[in-house]
Amino acid sequence: MKSMIRVGMVVLSVLALIGFMAPADVLAAEEIKIGVIYPLTGGAAAAGRELRAGAELAAEIANTAMADLPMTMARNEGVKSLGGAKITLIFKDHEGNPTLGADLAKKLIHDDKVDGILGCYHSSVTKTVSAVCEQYGVPMINGSSTSPDLTMRGFKWFWRTTPHDTLFTKDLFEFLKGLTEGKVRGVSAVPKKDIMTLASACEKTEWGSHVSDLIDRFAKEYGFNLKRSMLYAAKSADLSSEVRSLKAAKPDVMLFASYTSDAILMVKTLKSQKANPKVIWGQDAGFETPEFRETLGKDIVGFLTRSVFIPRVVEIKKISGQVNDMYKKKVGHDLSGASARSFTGLQAWVAILEKAGSTKPADIQAAANDIEIPGSELVVPWKGVKFSTSGDELGQNIWSSGIIGQYQLDKDGQIVMEIVYPFDVTSADMIYPLKGF
Amino acid sequence: MDIIVGSLVAGLLFGMVLALVALGLTIIFGVMDIVNFAHGEFLMVGMYTGLLTAQGLGIDPLLTLPVAGGVGFLLGVVCYFGFIKFLLRGPMVAQLLGTFGLMLFLRNLALLIFGSEDRALHHGVLVGESFDIGMGVIVSATKLAAAGLSVAAFVAVWLLMNRTRIGKALTATALSAQGARYMGIPTERMNALAWGIGGASVTIAGALIVNFWSVNPFIGLLFTMIAFAIVALGGFGSVPGAFLAGLVVGLITEIPGFWDFFVYTFDADWMSNVPMTSFKYMWVYLAYFIIMVVRPRGLFGWKH
Repeated sequence: MKSMIRVGMVVLSVLALIGFMAPADVLAAEEIKIGVIYPLTGGAAAAGRELRAGAELAAEIANTAMADLPMTMARNEGVKSLGGAKITLIFKDHEGNPTLGADLAKKLIHDDKVDGILGCYHSSVTKTVSAVCEQYGVPMINGSSTSPDLTMRGFKWFWRTTPHDTLFTKDLFEFLKGLTEGKVRGVSAVPKKDIMTLASACEKTEWGSHVSDLIDRFAKEYGFNLKRSMLYAAKSADLSSEVRSLKAAKPDVMLFASYTSDAILMVKTLKSQKANPKVIWGQDAGFETPEFRETLGKDIVGFLTRSVFIPRVVEIKKISGQVNDMYKKKVGHDLSGASARSFTGLQAWVAILEKAGSTKPADIQAAANDIEIPGSELVVPWKGVKFSTSGDELGQNIWSSGIIGQYQLDKDGQIVMEIVYPFDVTSADMIYPLKGF
Repeated sequence: MDIIVGSLVAGLLFGMVLALVALGLTIIFGVMDIVNFAHGEFLMVGMYTGLLTAQGLGIDPLLTLPVAGGVGFLLGVVCYFGFIKFLLRGPMVAQLLGTFGLMLFLRNLALLIFGSEDRALHHGVLVGESFDIGMGVIVSATKLAAAGLSVAAFVAVWLLMNRTRIGKALTATALSAQGARYMGIPTERMNALAWGIGGASVTIAGALIVNFWSVNPFIGLLFTMIAFAIVALGGFGSVPGAFLAGLVVGLITEIPGFWDFFVYTFDADWMSNVPMTSFKYMWVYLAYFIIMVVRPRGLFGWKH
């Protein structure tokens, strides 16, 4: 009996000693709480579901050891440098409302005591939420908002993994230029006069307004005639007059920046008004959600959209295929641009925490500014993740890049997206011009 | 020229549907001097009824009108006997606040049941179809059908009001409830009937609108404001006034199209930079404001 007591005393002493020696953070970090703010209801709810599923899958991989997945966060159960602490995601629904987003961020910081934030999809909401995080010194990673302004504010607690719209819009004009130079696979050089006239319609929040300005800027730079450029309310229930106005410009190319419900409504109205441009291009978001594809079916064949992820990527990247299979098993369809980006956003969070070995904001800040995730670990076809720490774009991932996809029918009659830009990684001939509605 | 003609046609077609939306409001006001702030929410109920019947039962959205009309009639009658008749005993402000409360209740009930997501019909005989009527003008089949059926519903209500005994009893109640009671007209039932017809008109309009317009629990506010503008323009209580004013308001919503005509005709940069499409409902509210200031009883007001 005495020996048992003695052994017990020794064990307790050792545990107490470990307790004194170990940094307080390690013991405290049994779980790491990340507040995730996405639009789970409202017009962008379909995209919100994608974003949520992408982040959840990344958390699942981070919390479970998966030996066959060549990804640092899949090697251990939880964050190794934090004693195997598990990632817990606390989801909040901002409904596309910037004020609500800011309130939710405060709630997450004060009530839920989160270690950091991920979000928010709508650039307008990301703007208010990141301002709250900056005020409280809480790290925030943004995986899916593309307004260029977000990383031009000199914020010290904000990092963005996705490329932004300046790059995407420049890609579009490079693509149009390539179309006139015969660089597009399967299309002979198109005389510039045939695609000279452009018309754009962008939703008028933070994101769409900036895209509209960028289209205007690049149209001038590349020598195209932007004959009609309009902003519309994403919550519009009817877009007939907008479409009539676009059609009246008789554009060769129509450009859009829309969220899901307005993107669907826009295409339905284009169809009922028998719009007949040669090229239709969407700035991701609504033009890439599964709901857009499922609702409109064959009407979108030939449409272009910029993206960061297209299922064809799995054919050139093994890791994308592995994660895509897991996602498909869980959700029922392929990764989309939204889910691939939220996955990558959370992956960046895990890598930063692993490097920081602490949940202290200052340590996370230092780790984020120093992180380098190689492209070989990402599901998206980027060079990797490395944030800018100087210049005009603080916190922007300088290793990110975009692609342009086109909806086409495969041999089974299913709608798939093929890569048409960059020109060196195309996966199919481009359909040009659109055959019309 | 196709822009002008296209906008004109679109404005008139939409105006016909809007006239039906406003009809219910003007009947209820005409019979018992109550402004129904929940009118747009009645329309929302019609839109959800059309949507659910079409999606749930697989019935073509255009054939769901009797169901929507029935739901609207029942809703109107239940609202009347449920609490409007009690509000009538109170001051005007109680009636205003009462229907305002009804608006909030219906909106939040819809939010609870359907969530805040926009929902739209994607299938139906006419959904997505359109006709080229010449001069480069394309008319959507759903809008054409909605306009035609709205006019039919409008005429049916007008005939009911003017060619039937029950309609004459309604008119008598509207002119003088006390006098009508002396003549043996059951004014209580007439009031309920007014709410029933008002509810049915607007829910039928809702079921027609959902063929080309997405629905969410907040959609009612826009249509309440438009209906107020139409009723003010047409005259409170005037059925023909509601129809004409509906057409006028429909055309006002097409001002951006008329503006485009000048933009492209004169190729004026400054004009193309004016975001007219963003202002399209502002002109409706401006017209409402001007009419209320200049001629408060409306252009065709017949009461008082």
